[in-house]
Amino acid sequence: MILQRLFALALLALCAVLAVMAWPYQAAFSYEPVGPRAYPLLMLGLMSLGLLYLAIRPTPIVRKDDEPELDRESLIKIAACVGLLLVFASTFEALGFILSAILVGVPMARLYGGRWLHSALVVVGMSLFLYWLFDRVMDVPLPLGLLDVLEN
Amino acid sequence: MDTLSYLGQGFGVALSPYNLVTALTGTLIGTVVGLLPGLGPINGVALLIPIAFALGLPPESALILLAAVYLGCEYGGRISSILLNIPGEASTVMTTLDGYPMARQGLAGVALSLSAWSSFIGAFIATCGMVLFAPLLAKWAIAFGPAEYFVLMVFAIVALGGMAGDKPLKTFIAALIGLFLSAVGIDANSGVYRFTGDSVHLADGIQFVVLVLGLFSISEILLLLEKTHHGHVAVKATGRMLFNFKEAASVFFVNIRCGLLGFFMGVLPGAGATLASAVAYMTEKRIAGDKGKFGKGDARGLAAPETAIGASCCGALVPMLTLGVPGSGTTAVMIGALTLYNITPGPLLFEQQPDIVWGLIASLFIANLMLIILNVPMIRVFTRILAVPNWALVPVIAIITAIGVYAVHATTFDLFLMVGIGIMGYILRKLDFPLSPILLGFILGGLMEQNLRRALSISNGELGILWSSPISMGVWVLVVCMLSLPLLRIWRKRALQRRAMADA
Repeated sequence: MILQRLFALALLALCAVLAVMAWPYQAAFSYEPVGPRAYPLLMLGLMSLGLLYLAIRPTPIVRKDDEPELDRESLIKIAACVGLLLVFASTFEALGFILSAILVGVPMARLYGGRWLHSALVVVGMSLFLYWLFDRVMDVPLPLGLLDVLEN
Repeated sequence: MDTLSYLGQGFGVALSPYNLVTALTGTLIGTVVGLLPGLGPINGVALLIPIAFALGLPPESALILLAAVYLGCEYGGRISSILLNIPGEASTVMTTLDGYPMARQGLAGVALSLSAWSSFIGAFIATCGMVLFAPLLAKWAIAFGPAEYFVLMVFAIVALGGMAGDKPLKTFIAALIGLFLSAVGIDANSGVYRFTGDSVHLADGIQFVVLVLGLFSISEILLLLEKTHHGHVAVKATGRMLFNFKEAASVFFVNIRCGLLGFFMGVLPGAGATLASAVAYMTEKRIAGDKGKFGKGDARGLAAPETAIGASCCGALVPMLTLGVPGSGTTAVMIGALTLYNITPGPLLFEQQPDIVWGLIASLFIANLMLIILNVPMIRVFTRILAVPNWALVPVIAIITAIGVYAVHATTFDLFLMVGIGIMGYILRKLDFPLSPILLGFILGGLMEQNLRRALSISNGELGILWSSPISMGVWVLVVCMLSLPLLRIWRKRALQRRAMADA
């Protein structure tokens, strides 16, 4: 309940910020009665109304049976996973697809309970295979990064 | 008669060897994707959009591929709900009720093939419905002006909330988030940059694929972390793989009834497969009465939701193809794919590109047949896939998702955006917000704003144009009805509670 209220209020604040951002949006010269500002403001306004109601009267969250309560441990894991994804995004081009996928994939497999050796084998194999499949077979260009020297 | 010849032409397109191979590959990929936890039809289809584009498939083949993947995903989801008792998504919850008991009685193969058969009949009925109604609707839709379109889209959004049942407010907020997100980027009419924060990468707006994969794949990856995976044991599929004539005959009328029901539920925006399967199951349970063994492995209990899902999926294509207004998350993704090919779905699509429309319809038939046939030799392989542990799956899903996002624009900015959207999606999911309204809102948002502005340009700013024509008036009445549905439901619930209180 309290989380839901907090979320609604946070999103409400965001709506307000976005509305302030949207205020100066005006076409330099225009031939139509409705400018670029009206639609976003309308949406933000409606959303604020909904959020306000949610903040005042939050609806109970139906929890599924197999969904355990969020504890500290899972939160840390989730933060770690997000961190890994961010590392993946930032090294994707610099290190190249294969290396960054291995760098991020192995710890990620560990997070989900794999053993070091097993994780390393699967992730290394899959990164090489996926690189070959997408870059070579399916023409989706992926960066080689550091491994660039190996080619030619 | 015209439609029949068009349909023949469509089969000509779909039966070309190239497209047959495409459809076969699509169904196989789709089945595997649907089997895996964390990937459903929505992200399965979204992942393939950039790839289909990169492969340089012609538009009709790309669309056939996506439709085949979609059906395959639905089928894959069925495998996990029947063999593991884990519904892959909301619409297959009803399938587990009788499918899993059937599998435990040693009828796993029968249950799977019967569900595929039911879904085929559902799709068949819906396709017949589509052949009958879609051209009529398309002809009628030509009379729609921007004002009518705007009202229609308002209706689609409101219908989502009205039909969603238990959480109309959250559905509504989610749809508004999507509607708002569509405004990010350069405004096509005036050239003003909106909400880009001076970033070049956002000038083009948020990429649809990035939004879908972030919302669905990344948030699912995070959700999987908290579920301690015990390695579910799948029921072994042994014995007969195909249903026999008697079993098919026993569910035939169920198939017909639920097919019709599913089709109409599918055409209505917002209702979709989840509601159709639930209503179908409940109706059949009531019709069977005490004689049925519903919940204990009754074939009718399996056939009813599956037929309805198959029919509603095809039914959902009707508003998408004729009006350009998607009614479900997956059709929203398909519209996203079409726009990549510069094809605008709408009434004119039927006249200008009949090959695409009818080829798609014909390939739905073929893909469904393929699934039934594939089921027999492949089921053992598929059940093997269910045993793959999460630690091996999740990194691979994450990597493939990143490839799909990177394939769109080849910028790492999109990867960061995907992670950000994923976190947002995770939070929304934890707070019990439905996610597919965001997608629908995102797709409808651009169209909605354009049509609103066009309509008001015509009337020179006079708001009256929005309710001046009989069509728009009619749709407004429907909007009001839809808006009052949740209120009515709450009121009824309260009345029931009060009565229960009085009794106690």
